[in-house]
Amino acid sequence: MKRLARAAIVTTLRDELERRGSWAGETHLQKALFVLQEGASVPLAYNFILYKHGPFAFDLREDLNAFRSDGFITLRTQPYPYGPRLVTTEIGHDLQRRFPKTLGLYRKRIETVAQFLGNRGVTDLERIGTALLMIRDFPGADDNEISRRVRNVKPHVQESEAELAIKEVRRFLVGATMKEALGQKS
Amino acid sequence: MLKAASPLIWAPLMLPTSRNEESLNQELAVWPARLTPEPTWADGAHAALLGRSTPSRGYDQADVYGSSSGASTEADVKFLHEIRDPVYGFVTVNSHERRVVDSAPVQRLRHVSQLAMSSLVYPGVTHKRFEHSLGVMHLAGEAFDVLTRQENVSDAVRDVVPELNEPDNLPYWKSVIRMAALCHDLGHLPFSHAAEQILPPGVTHETLSEELILSPDMEEIFASMIPPLTPKVVAKLAVGPSKSRENFGVWEAILTEIVTGDAFGVDRMDYLLRDSLHAGVAYGRFDYLRILQTLRLLQMSALENDEASLAPSVGVQQGGLNAAEALLLARYFMFSQVYFHPVRIIYDIHLADFLKLWLPGEKFSGKLEDHLRINDNDIWVAIRDTAHDVSHPAHNPAQRIYERKHFKLLYSRRPSDVELFHKPGHAIASWAKEEYGSDAVRYRASEKSGGALDFLVQEPLGTIASSTTVSDTLRNLPPNTADLVFIRPDLLESASLAIKKEDFVRDLLAQAAEEEARVEDDEAAAEPAIRATNEEDE
Repeated sequence: MKRLARAAIVTTLRDELERRGSWAGETHLQKALFVLQEGASVPLAYNFILYKHGPFAFDLREDLNAFRSDGFITLRTQPYPYGPRLVTTEIGHDLQRRFPKTLGLYRKRIETVAQFLGNRGVTDLERIGTALLMIRDFPGADDNEISRRVRNVKPHVQESEAELAIKEVRRFLVGATMKEALGQKS
Repeated sequence: MLKAASPLIWAPLMLPTSRNEESLNQELAVWPARLTPEPTWADGAHAALLGRSTPSRGYDQADVYGSSSGASTEADVKFLHEIRDPVYGFVTVNSHERRVVDSAPVQRLRHVSQLAMSSLVYPGVTHKRFEHSLGVMHLAGEAFDVLTRQENVSDAVRDVVPELNEPDNLPYWKSVIRMAALCHDLGHLPFSHAAEQILPPGVTHETLSEELILSPDMEEIFASMIPPLTPKVVAKLAVGPSKSRENFGVWEAILTEIVTGDAFGVDRMDYLLRDSLHAGVAYGRFDYLRILQTLRLLQMSALENDEASLAPSVGVQQGGLNAAEALLLARYFMFSQVYFHPVRIIYDIHLADFLKLWLPGEKFSGKLEDHLRINDNDIWVAIRDTAHDVSHPAHNPAQRIYERKHFKLLYSRRPSDVELFHKPGHAIASWAKEEYGSDAVRYRASEKSGGALDFLVQEPLGTIASSTTVSDTLRNLPPNTADLVFIRPDLLESASLAIKKEDFVRDLLAQAAEEEARVEDDEAAAEPAIRATNEEDE
């Protein structure tokens, strides 16, 4: 996918997350784009690995910096003590309007992911993202194995929290909403 | 057990006398007996990477780095070696580490420029990757000591990073991170980043660094160290996460952040300090000692609305905030004034043009044996010879470099132009190529963030906050951007007359924006809804 099409998708997901109550900082966007790419099969082609707070793509960070440089997004300071949020600029909204076909193709998936993650905080996103990453990397593993792996890489995640996150991800992946978004029958 | 001390404290005890091979071998024969019989280090490291607790090794900081007691012994003075450094005064290595320093891949870095052909702009910039690597190693050890010092680590952080509860193992990890820092640039081609694009697909300086660290020769050296190091762990931390496809656990993320971190990575600290010193510009200087003193592993407290992760990051105490601001400002100005200097960039382009025409198959082979054989000196000789050989296909770019007949800057982006088209330089370059021919025009676009603006700060009362809520400077630091168009010197006057015409640039950019939107959206929409792979197609 070309860079500007990615920018249109990234900024649209940001807007949808915010509409559902998200603070839309970089961490939120990183985790939500991971779910959009790996859980909803939108071919963004970012290289997500497990990092400090769950899945993270350094090429996505580079894109976000580039989008800032291009004027599509800007940083807005949050109230103390939180980190900044990303905000789509007017230039960014113009860009979205220039990509009706791309956004038409993926809008339902973007909205589904935003619905799934929009009201979650960073801790929750870290658990959900890490659970999906382990499911992606160990496709044959059962939930106990995934839970063990989540806790190995994230010692601060409690067993019950890991199990809940895995259940939520499984439900999201096989759920009717996601299938509908992907144009499949339930 | 002797108390751990930083190399700065040991320095007065040292003499530049090295231990001969025989005594070193005797020492190596004795060392294993001092170790607790435990599983191998590879097992321990693997367990640590998976987040499990690792068994104690049974030796302490002094075992690995020499005695730090006041009473120096003959062994002490011979075990440590000092290397003079223009930035830090002295960089110290022990006899085990010295074997890595003396290895062929590290020694090759003596002949690889840190900043490519920047000496053609800043005559003092003749320093090499070798001294930068030593500097990064030095700072990595210092930062590690501060971050892991027991009194600097909170109970909450200790709860989620089990490795911090095993002080006997910390010397091992310090050795790992110092060697990772020393080896992080082994894969650099001649003239460093300038030649990076001339590698086979899939090969980068990071993959070459990794291959070199994992090579049999280096593996043997790492295995002979005390404690023996696992090359795979060294390689992973040396290359860092940005180009990696491997996962990083909490501890690994902390370690790699020390070397390659966006905010306080010691790689960045060293290159800013060193490059600015050699360039003779003051922009890159900052109070690195204050930053090092105030580095801490910090985590946002779990708050009601769940807007925090418990995984710690490298941050600073409030007392280091001004120094951290200075670091990020230094980076901003160094990019604006040195790294994105138009003349430096056009020489990078001419060098790439030359190498494509000079190298067999238009690329470096990407093979280790070839990589180790070639450095800046070989390329300079080739440039000189080719500049005098009018029949050589690479004569033109060689002559431009050798005789300083570089292309001239035609356009550098203006913020107001970005509002019309996000890559104005690209549009100008396309026009110029159509008007004057591709061979007469060169274009380069690069972006760098203004730094990690968002890092954690520990305030005097112990509260943790985002840097952006406590620093106006960081809040307003823009990204660095280069968007440059160059043209053959004899065409500069004609081309600049054209783009100076009223509305010329504005009309050109508006047209480019319309064309791009139409083409890009058609291409994106034509893609299948779900692809089998996520390969990048740009």
